[in-house]
Amino acid sequence: MKTLYIMQKEIRESILTPKGFLWYILTSIILSVLSYLFLTNRELSLLDQGTMLYMIMNFITALGVLMGLVFGSDAFAGEIERGTLEALFLSPVNRMEIAAGKLGAVLTNWGIIFAVSLPYLFIVGKGGQNLLMGILYLGILGTLLSIIFSAFSMGLSARIKSMKNSLIISFFVFLLAGSPVFISAALRRTWFGRILDLVNPFADAVNTFDSVVIDSQGFSYQIGRVAIICVYTLLCIWFLKRSAVKLEM
Amino acid sequence: MKKTILILSIIFLAMALNYTYTTASSRITVSISPPSVQANMGDKITYEGTITNDSDNPVNNLITYISLANVTHGKEAPMDLEDWSADKAIKVDTIPPHGTYKGKWPMRLIDSGSYVAYITVVDKNHNTPVSSMMSHLNVKRVLRLNPNNVLPVAIGEPILIGAVFMFISFKRRNRVK
Repeated sequence: MKTLYIMQKEIRESILTPKGFLWYILTSIILSVLSYLFLTNRELSLLDQGTMLYMIMNFITALGVLMGLVFGSDAFAGEIERGTLEALFLSPVNRMEIAAGKLGAVLTNWGIIFAVSLPYLFIVGKGGQNLLMGILYLGILGTLLSIIFSAFSMGLSARIKSMKNSLIISFFVFLLAGSPVFISAALRRTWFGRILDLVNPFADAVNTFDSVVIDSQGFSYQIGRVAIICVYTLLCIWFLKRSAVKLEM
Repeated sequence: MKKTILILSIIFLAMALNYTYTTASSRITVSISPPSVQANMGDKITYEGTITNDSDNPVNNLITYISLANVTHGKEAPMDLEDWSADKAIKVDTIPPHGTYKGKWPMRLIDSGSYVAYITVVDKNHNTPVSSMMSHLNVKRVLRLNPNNVLPVAIGEPILIGAVFMFISFKRRNRVK
């Protein structure tokens, strides 16, 4: 109940504000431009619908993770810098409940991004293969990735107590996680690329989308990657819990 | 006269083969169907290849694949079939003596132009791959301004979210007053 109260407070302060809403308008404009280009541009429309859907899914996931990192970095360090954490600690809410409430608000943000992106996914993937299955996987894996990256950056924010530093470190981690985008397909097929792909939860999610949407492979092919993402989720929740409990003014 | 008969016989033989090509050393023949296709961009077509074992022995472990080459003037190049959603290779375990194998290659036509498609069969026991005759493919360009009804969503959704944003701002401003 207290967790829910913290979550509502966070949503009121970060999401249901005019400034917070600008994020979703921008998200929707970017997705509009992207999906229109995918379907009408001569070069981009050469891609088959599965590939278009897969690329939009990657973009939505990256956007959700990125926003989660920013929200997470602000969670504790931002409160310390604004001088509001002390008042929060004086309220009858323990630190775990505060952390869970803030994580819930980040997940609400992901939920809104997912909801905003649904019409675009349906338009781009209409008549193509594995649309509903792709959306299902995006919903589940996007939620898990949001938990992983936002819990990590929240834990970091509680330990470092500096929003700027935790944001920079979180962005470095995000760039490292997004390395499959920068590595060539040939390098990704080498043993180094395969290991990097396997231990990286972001790459695991991207490869699962590829496997589900483009290659039409069933759940048995995804078990290993989904299990790794679940392990990371538990590890990051544990890291957040430890960091929140140890947090002192 | 003999020379004319010989030339006519050769022409007749070539026509009788009808898009089928056989190398002298090969035990197999391969053909592609349909021999020509006229379609629009975005259409889905299926090529069918028939591999026939003409020998008295079974043939094993054949690899067969389709190739597509752009023959449009100024754009001549082999095409990457991954972009055309086509399965490139099929492994054929065995074809019995005088038996046939039919393989299908569905593909989505994603760019306009003139192309040729042909099917090749590789038998590791023979040095010469066997290819079918070429099937001519002409893809007409289609200009689509509102495919999948994308415009209402692409324009409508940012406006809708903007309207909610304006509503929240207005409500907050009233509350502050």
